Amino acid sequence: MIQKQTKPILLFNDECAVCRHIGHWVQRSAQSKSGETGILVQPIGDDPERLRSLNPNLDIWDAYETIHVLMPDGSMRLGGEAVAETLRNLPNTKWFAGSFATRIFGFRPFQVLLNMAYAILSDVRPLFGCESCGKPKVLRRIQWVTKGVKNLFGGSPRPSPTPHFSSLSAARRRPLAVSVQPLPQSTHS
Amino acid sequence: MINGTAEHRRGTSLKPLSSDRIQTVTASTFTRLVLEAEGPIVVEFMSYGCEHCRAIEPVLEQVAKMVEPRETIFRVNIAVEQELAGSYQIQGTPTLIMFLDGNEVGRVEGPSPTVSSVLTAVTQPFELRTENN
Repeated sequence: MIQKQTKPILLFNDECAVCRHIGHWVQRSAQSKSGETGILVQPIGDDPERLRSLNPNLDIWDAYETIHVLMPDGSMRLGGEAVAETLRNLPNTKWFAGSFATRIFGFRPFQVLLNMAYAILSDVRPLFGCESCGKPKVLRRIQWVTKGVKNLFGGSPRPSPTPHFSSLSAARRRPLAVSVQPLPQSTHS
Repeated sequence: MINGTAEHRRGTSLKPLSSDRIQTVTASTFTRLVLEAEGPIVVEFMSYGCEHCRAIEPVLEQVAKMVEPRETIFRVNIAVEQELAGSYQIQGTPTLIMFLDGNEVGRVEGPSPTVSSVLTAVTQPFELRTENN
């Protein structure tokens, strides 16, 4: 049966421990006392066509790159905007989430701070157990500088044989896919 | 990092699928499309959550366009096809395996995400094989 999407859907990276943890927290927090859920939480999964059925403009690679909230009107919130949208739909956080929309001289200071916080968290996720995110940019820059300094003092550079490769050793320690709840069939008929 | 709102409405300004040129093969279609196929076939073992696969994706699409119709590039999603990945002893992603008439003739793990590097990776094993014959 084809269902119409009536609630926002938060997509999270189920191959990242931090994102899984946050996704499950949102899912637990989304239920109000009456049992109503303000936002649906779904793992991104592995099926590009399935995501396309949720929103024709949603590319699976984009979904893994940054957090997405799919809105019932067909638009998408990305990054910090998606976090704000999620908080607006949680019973315990909606009281302060309204502040992200507050404009001062056309500028949204709280949203800017949230965007920055999201960007930092997103970058340092590997330090907290994201198996699929690679190294944080900060760490890569430090390694690049260290390597440069070593070379400057005559050290022999020893490049990693496969720097563009994600080993499966970490992935084997956990299931590759986590099923939270089945995705709706299709959102718009 | 991307922050913002994508105001694309359904049914309008549809982005092309990133995987349009590279077809996904599954365990059930692998034998027919890869092992029983004639000529050079490249299979990328990948996962959508892997950042290196994300980096190589547009490059591989470009290379696929350059090498067709001589070569066909397929992808195998190892998150779904874990048995298939196990049978080819995939140690990580992305791994490119080159097949000629169903036989593995080359393998590259984590190629640099540049057109020249990937193009060399997906053409050299076949050229060497042709030279040896």
